Amino acid sequence: MVIRLKGGTVFDPANGIDGEMRDIYIQKDQIIKPPDQNQAVDETIDITGRVVMPAGIDLHTHIGGGKVNIARMMLPENHAAGRVTQDQHPHWESGHIAPPAPIAGYRYAEMGYVACFEPAMLPTNARQTHMELADTPMIDKGAYALLGNDDFLLRALRQKRDPAFIRDYIGWILHASQALAIKVVNPGGISAFKFNQRQLDLDERNAVYGVTPRKILLALSTAVESLGLAHPLHIHGCNLGVPGNVNTTISTITALDGIRAHLTHLQFHSYGTEGDRNFSSGAAEIAEIVNRSPNISLDVGQIMFGRTVTESGDVMQQFKGSEFADPKKWVGMDIECDAGCGVVPFRYKSRSFVNALQWAIGLELFLLIDDPWRIFLTTDHPNGAPFTSYPHLIRLLMDRSFRRDMLSTIHADAAAASHLGSLAREYTLYEIATITRAAPARSLGLTEFGSLGIGDKAHITVYKDQPNREKMFAKPELVFKDGSIIVRKGRIVNEVWGATHVARPDYDRGVERELDRYFDRYMTLHKDNTRVTDDEIRDGGRGELVINEATTSR
Amino acid sequence: MPSEPTPTKHLAEKINRKATVCPFCALLCDDLEVRRLPDDSFAIQRNGCSRADTDYARPPAIPQPLIGGQKADFETACIAAARLLRNAKQPLIAGLGTDVDGMRAVIRLAERCGAVLDHMHGETLNALAGILQSRGGYFTTLSEIRNRADLVLLVGVDLGDRYENFVRLCLKPKFGLHTHRLKKRHVIDLGARPFESRHPDIERIRCSTKNLPETLNRLLALVRDAPLSGSSFGGISRKTLQALATKMHKSAYCAMVFTPATMGNCRETTVSTIFDIVDELNRAGRAAGLALGGDDGGQSAVVTCTWQTGYPLRVRFGETIEYDPRGNAFGKLLASGEADTLLWIDSFGRNSSPRQFKKLDNAIVLSAVRPKHVDNLGVFIPVGTPGIDHYARLVRTDSVVTLPLHTIRRTGLPSVANVLAGITAQT
Repeated sequence: MVIRLKGGTVFDPANGIDGEMRDIYIQKDQIIKPPDQNQAVDETIDITGRVVMPAGIDLHTHIGGGKVNIARMMLPENHAAGRVTQDQHPHWESGHIAPPAPIAGYRYAEMGYVACFEPAMLPTNARQTHMELADTPMIDKGAYALLGNDDFLLRALRQKRDPAFIRDYIGWILHASQALAIKVVNPGGISAFKFNQRQLDLDERNAVYGVTPRKILLALSTAVESLGLAHPLHIHGCNLGVPGNVNTTISTITALDGIRAHLTHLQFHSYGTEGDRNFSSGAAEIAEIVNRSPNISLDVGQIMFGRTVTESGDVMQQFKGSEFADPKKWVGMDIECDAGCGVVPFRYKSRSFVNALQWAIGLELFLLIDDPWRIFLTTDHPNGAPFTSYPHLIRLLMDRSFRRDMLSTIHADAAAASHLGSLAREYTLYEIATITRAAPARSLGLTEFGSLGIGDKAHITVYKDQPNREKMFAKPELVFKDGSIIVRKGRIVNEVWGATHVARPDYDRGVERELDRYFDRYMTLHKDNTRVTDDEIRDGGRGELVINEATTSR
Repeated sequence: MPSEPTPTKHLAEKINRKATVCPFCALLCDDLEVRRLPDDSFAIQRNGCSRADTDYARPPAIPQPLIGGQKADFETACIAAARLLRNAKQPLIAGLGTDVDGMRAVIRLAERCGAVLDHMHGETLNALAGILQSRGGYFTTLSEIRNRADLVLLVGVDLGDRYENFVRLCLKPKFGLHTHRLKKRHVIDLGARPFESRHPDIERIRCSTKNLPETLNRLLALVRDAPLSGSSFGGISRKTLQALATKMHKSAYCAMVFTPATMGNCRETTVSTIFDIVDELNRAGRAAGLALGGDDGGQSAVVTCTWQTGYPLRVRFGETIEYDPRGNAFGKLLASGEADTLLWIDSFGRNSSPRQFKKLDNAIVLSAVRPKHVDNLGVFIPVGTPGIDHYARLVRTDSVVTLPLHTIRRTGLPSVANVLAGITAQT
């Protein structure tokens, strides 16, 4: 069966195609060459005038695992608008700030996304994370293992263990937890909070282990590079949300000294201390150093006004933030000598100076960072806003006059303190396709995603070209996943189950002897029982396991 | 459903431990060594506890379904069960003593037949969910307590019958990561149950269940340094409580461990006070709470239902999905007669018959043991126990760790997930 998508206007940055009218041919799950005259086209779908892009990829969205589930459990008021729609999936409705697994999958697909990555999987919670992801339909998925506060690593660093030992430990973590990449959250800080340290700057020592965040960052980023992972170390740095953290972020980039790294939800790490309220935008300084540091990529973590819930491994910072919980409840947790988590419901208010400036800072980062291949569109779902706000965010990036209208509605002092009003840049469709498709796919080493080249997977989104970009991106005309239509006019028409992407670098298995000893001595379960098997990922045939073969050399 | 996992190809070393994971309480100890006996039951060789001794000693159920007391094959029994559910005005799926895959199947079936869901320990599970929904709290996990807590306050914890192995796992391990603290770890038991003969080193402050809420409130006041009149509270001297409050403030990491199941009807306010104390201690120092509970698959049921629906059980599927944490309690629905058909699940074999249900011919029971009055039941389908008769995944009491449990005997008994898939296909 060959399907021809006829006459669409194609935006495919991976192949340098910027708004050209092209036909796309699909056979099974792949994009194929135009068939020769002897080969029949079974179905032609006329999409003349429609905008065609690869399907979307979200490389940082909290959609599965312990803290996500705590948020769901805490917020029945979010789900309360329940409505069962029998004629289509989902069978039950829910709010968007902490959606149950099936709803997250459906909403992403309806928005034209087909791959989403949970960025903060604790190795001790890996089994639950993968069970939740397994129950998330419509999308491919994967998870990043969270390290950098685990007692095993901190002990190894205190003992000045060989970098090869750290590398092998990370290798084991990736295999055992079925992870695609490695993330670090507040390096050493979550551990320090367990010892009652209330802050930990880049060069402050963890009181018990004596190691600094700088040392942890360098050890992990070097190890990730030497394992040859496609995605560099995914860094949630020190001092999230702290005014003045722009200096920490710049020092972090400087400390990395050319080593590849991904700085996540950078909006929350771009704050200065200027002005009467000691809170200002550091976006320009961040953009300046990012623009001249080709080793750095980032996602923004844009905030949007309204209710959401913040969920983070960074319980040190969430503890401080709990003061502002709205409604007044929050959960903190110290977890299994592995890390921690904090879940704090929150409402971003346009009339709050701080929130309004956060909103502006995120947009400034988007507009001041030049290279769309190194910046990815995220709201750090749900920390900045639910992912369902992406179409609105895209409109803010593409439509200068809309942006200015919105700017005029926020706290006046924040609007005045921001450069946003003077930034004329408007993202093009080609750039949107880059930051939501091509660039995240490349960063994760998903070779068949984010691209409409011959031989790529047929993950395609077709939009009606509308001047209101929010409307346009909210409701694609068609979404193809693995060559089949899963969404028509923004509604699910076919329930599918995606694959899980994992990395399997080589490592010296000798490290496991030491891990056996460590688990038997200190942990409350055996090492082997933390391991998630391939069969669990395959989940009786509903799931699929994809081993990421990309290396850093591409 | 996932079948028995084969050893993974990508890891050189095979999973080949002598030890097995015990499914019979939510501690999920993974170091039990058991020996199979001629009647297909097990004797525990190492690391057991009195509860596990009893449960492992139970031979498997006869793999014989019954319809109204008459023998039937599994398929016919599933068809009969499906018919009962189809004809029900308000079906109730309760007990929910099963593993994660069993719960996934429960939710599929509930959605199909418009059922209400509740667990046999719904009252305690619901109280904890209520705490998360009303105030939250600062929590900790087993390995954190084992390695970090220099002070552990047990509140109404029954280490004699339930959670005996908590002592071995968390309170008195041979090794600890931060040994300088472990050496002087102080464990204080605030509660009514006697177990001092086995643990003379655990300090006891006797407090009846009835007096627990009041005592904790006084303790909170003392931790807050609030003025307090009176020299004795619920039989505990002010001096004793003051000394406890001081110890808690001075500790580097104070863990408050409690069992909601033993707290009676005041459990929600009692637990709330525990987290008030934890919050107070966290102003300047470090503290956290841990609930011991969620046995019989309770923790797995809550966690799975939450990621699938957003709600921690007590949901009703229908035109809308309704979460009613009080109205959808199984005991209430059975007593009022609102639920006219019951599917009761108990694959751990510890609570095979709900006392409240009178219309036995409208009851379907899936259990690892034959319930009382089995011949009067609409349908009885024997099932295997997770981690004994089939591979399973269960969520531990701290809700962080999910353990894999492997088959240790082959009996031909189906899993709950298998049976429910059979029923769903007919519904």
